[in-house]
Amino acid sequence: MSAAELESTREQGSTIKGERRAMVETIDKGLAERPSFSFRLQLTLGFLLLFFLSMAIIIGSMTAIKRIQNKFHFFQASERFLFEVEQARRWEKNYFLYGTNLTDAAQSAGNAKILLSQSLESYQKVYPEQATQIVYNLEKYRELLEELMVLDKRSGIDPARKQLIETALRKHGAEMVEVAVSLTLKEQASINALLNLIQQIPIYALVGYLLIMMYVAYFLAQRFMKRLNFLIDSTQRIAKGDFSPIMPIRKYRDEFTTVSVAINRMLEELDARQKAMVESHKLRAIGNLTAGVAHELNNPINNMMLTAHSLLEDYKELSEEELVEMINDLINETERSRSIVRNLLDFARESESTSEPLDLGVLVRQTIKLTENQIKVSGAKIDVTVQSDLPSIRGDKQKLKQVFLNLILNAVDAVGKDGIIKIDVEKSASPGFLAVHVLDNGCGIPAHILPYIFDPFFTSKAPGKGTGLGLSVSHGIVNMHGGRITVSSDEGKYSRFTVLLPTTDIPADINRP
Amino acid sequence: MEDKKIDVLLVDDEAIVGNRLKPALTKIGCQVEVFEDSKEALKRIDEKAFDIIVTDIMMADVNGIQLLDYVQKKSIRTKVIMITGYATEALAREAMAKGAFDIISKPFRPNDLREVIAKAAKALGFKEKIVA
Repeated sequence: MSAAELESTREQGSTIKGERRAMVETIDKGLAERPSFSFRLQLTLGFLLLFFLSMAIIIGSMTAIKRIQNKFHFFQASERFLFEVEQARRWEKNYFLYGTNLTDAAQSAGNAKILLSQSLESYQKVYPEQATQIVYNLEKYRELLEELMVLDKRSGIDPARKQLIETALRKHGAEMVEVAVSLTLKEQASINALLNLIQQIPIYALVGYLLIMMYVAYFLAQRFMKRLNFLIDSTQRIAKGDFSPIMPIRKYRDEFTTVSVAINRMLEELDARQKAMVESHKLRAIGNLTAGVAHELNNPINNMMLTAHSLLEDYKELSEEELVEMINDLINETERSRSIVRNLLDFARESESTSEPLDLGVLVRQTIKLTENQIKVSGAKIDVTVQSDLPSIRGDKQKLKQVFLNLILNAVDAVGKDGIIKIDVEKSASPGFLAVHVLDNGCGIPAHILPYIFDPFFTSKAPGKGTGLGLSVSHGIVNMHGGRITVSSDEGKYSRFTVLLPTTDIPADINRP
Repeated sequence: MEDKKIDVLLVDDEAIVGNRLKPALTKIGCQVEVFEDSKEALKRIDEKAFDIIVTDIMMADVNGIQLLDYVQKKSIRTKVIMITGYATEALAREAMAKGAFDIISKPFRPNDLREVIAKAAKALGFKEKIVA
């Protein structure tokens, strides 16, 4: 790669980094710019609601008590009025029966009038019809009494006339009493009704409180749990290697928004670390390949050296045919060396993520080529089957090679001299995916460590032999491609790693963070 | 024994190695048989006791170390010279411990091998026949 090319790659790299930062900033802005509806505010609102309800209940109770008080005064006035009227009627009756004087009756009627005039206003307000009736009857009654008293003084009263006045007096008196009694009864009933109501208010209030508290508690808990679950889901997603930032999904901002923003910061950091880890692990993998590559390269170099020396020693005696054959050998072996170096550099070159259409079968075969000597050294056999007419995938060639290299080298480590590593590239059972199975008949993976093998720094190899990063990095790379990596194993029998990668019709943008 | 040619068996899965070394060794008075497939070579070892066996270490099926073990059991007299594309110390030690005559690292010149063969021939009692 020329210096200029390197420069442009670097520039591209920094642009991609810049783009990610800009995107995260936009999302953070989106998170922060929503209207705030914090839990503190929600709690305050709930308590305010309860406070207003309490206030309403207290005001209602006080009004009801005030009204009872008023009604009670009214009731007392009515009672006193009724008493005076009844008193007047008793004197009146005595007069007619025993001929006693009428002064006492007139006195009581007068008292009744005073009482009536005192509370007439309130009577008229509540019972206007009855009030008019009472006033009218009382006036009539008093008039008749006075008339009778005047007639009485003039001795020699006309009995017929007296009879007439008596009847009228009785009629108005009775009517007045009747109306006043009905009024008193009515007032009594309404006082009872109010008392009943006041008794029930605490029960209604309790029910109201209970409902509001339940609603507030449920509503708040619901909102709270939803946020919490969302964050838990996010952390699980992150643990699986998906470092895409948390997006604003709600209309409002609250205390959890701060957490989301902090998580996004952390994700950015994690993403950068992950990239560095992939890169450093690649260097480790290259280190592991050194022995194989040296052997691989030394073979063609040896062939060239032997051929060149033979030419030097014997070129005079050799036939033209033999000379051509040797020169062709030289050319072919040079070619072979070049392709070995190119293949290794292809893998080793530091580069930013790229996404291009790839033939998964070719990619897997190229990776096997890198490990061929490693396999030869170990004595294991490798067997590759690639299904024909596979759709292409999109992805980063280097990174995917790193994944398969890891899996193959692990398989080589797992199997002994009679090991067989079977690699199948085929359409996956899940539509839209291609599957690469790497199956070995090696030592297998004990069930108790199986859940941890994709964790970073987990290794079952001897100290210094493995970094514990291979599978973790592979997992990260496959996730980045929108794929999955799974494992099944039986200790002492086999291990099968399966990498699922989406075909191009499901676009997988690898530059997605 | 004076006129007898030195019987050499050469095993390397790289065809060119055999193609170049066969004439180079024949020139110095060796009778050379070449095998690319180490399994075939084992069969030949069963049939004939060679003076010198030159074998690559890294080969599919049967590797150089296994071949060395096999030869040791068959004929204690046979000198085995190992050639390897990538000689680690551990590998060299293992081969020497198992009784290899010498180890040569690839890439090597034809003369490098001739010298080792000359030494081996001397050890076997051949008289200065070989001029490296």
